[in-house]
Amino acid sequence: MIKITKLVFQNFKFLFLSMIIFSSMMVVLLIISEYIFLEPYFVTHIPSGTEFGFFLITAISALSALVIPMNLFRIINLKSSKQKMSGSIVGSIVGSVAGACSCGPVGFAVISTFGSVGATATAFLTNYETPLRIIAIAILIITFFTTIKSLKIECKINFQS
Amino acid sequence: MNKKGAILGIVVISIIIGIAAFASSPSETYDLDMARTHGDISTAMGSPILGNPLAPITIVEFGDYQCHQCYNWFHNTKPMIMRDYIETGKANLVFVDFAFLGKDSPKASQATYCADDQGKYWEYHNSLYTSQESKIDSGWANSERLKAFAFNLDLDMALFNQCLDSEKYSKRIQYNSQQARDNGVRGTPGFFIVGPDDQKQIAGAQPFSVFQRIMDSMV
Repeated sequence: MIKITKLVFQNFKFLFLSMIIFSSMMVVLLIISEYIFLEPYFVTHIPSGTEFGFFLITAISALSALVIPMNLFRIINLKSSKQKMSGSIVGSIVGSVAGACSCGPVGFAVISTFGSVGATATAFLTNYETPLRIIAIAILIITFFTTIKSLKIECKINFQS
Repeated sequence: MNKKGAILGIVVISIIIGIAAFASSPSETYDLDMARTHGDISTAMGSPILGNPLAPITIVEFGDYQCHQCYNWFHNTKPMIMRDYIETGKANLVFVDFAFLGKDSPKASQATYCADDQGKYWEYHNSLYTSQESKIDSGWANSERLKAFAFNLDLDMALFNQCLDSEKYSKRIQYNSQQARDNGVRGTPGFFIVGPDDQKQIAGAQPFSVFQRIMDSMV
């Protein structure tokens, strides 16, 4: 597993992509979830009782940064199918959308635009924020291991041929 | 002819129903200072002032009782503001309802003014934010629970129930929510710190340090 991970990330392009994905996802999710504020001053904080939420955001960002470049590696270098890529994208999107609405500007915009349908969707995403993020993490972990497995097989075939 | 008659009948019945609904809607008369403003914001229909009414700074909070970030602010930041600014007379606070999150939000806001009729606005406000559950519209703020909170505060239940069931304060909540929109509030909690010379907007459940920095610069 470590060998395969090293194989992907010793390529600077994929390492750079991974860093970009992690930092951008982390910052955006922390802003949306109100761990970071940009106005009127730049300030970061973790209010008591929200530590687990912070941990879940970190886990989703880290796993997305791991899984998305690995799948791109498969597609670009090994000309593999794009099927497993969808797992990483779905996991990242579910993890990002959960809790993105709530009572902040995103939720307000959704409710203002879509009315009662938006309010129902916002309520669902807020009420099930933690379970949805846990599901997203599970999807990303499963995608990570299936990617490792297929990379092992595909690399062996490619090296032999 | 029959078709025309049916349409005419429907129109007449609709008008009668409309007039009946209008006539049966409760009249809303409150004893309020409609000229009360803080900075650019009309707080006339908002909460009573918490703290010294003559304090040089007013914190105007726009909030929804079902908003979990409002809950976070209430439990993490507000106690320090109470201790350092409101209890010392440096600032006061007005809560203005921005009830947009779910169907129970406006009802919860109305209930606070029903409690205000009996002089217990802030006690009721505090009990809502203490009892908030994480799920929106899960029933924690339905009519039955709102009445239970009132019962726990020893309010006159006949008066409270009559007030809540008649939706006496529904237009007040609509007015307050419109104030939020008119002042550019795009989520809850939203704050305006209104000082002697200017006002500053704070969006979200920001930490105490932000409020402290702004208020100290105003005094």
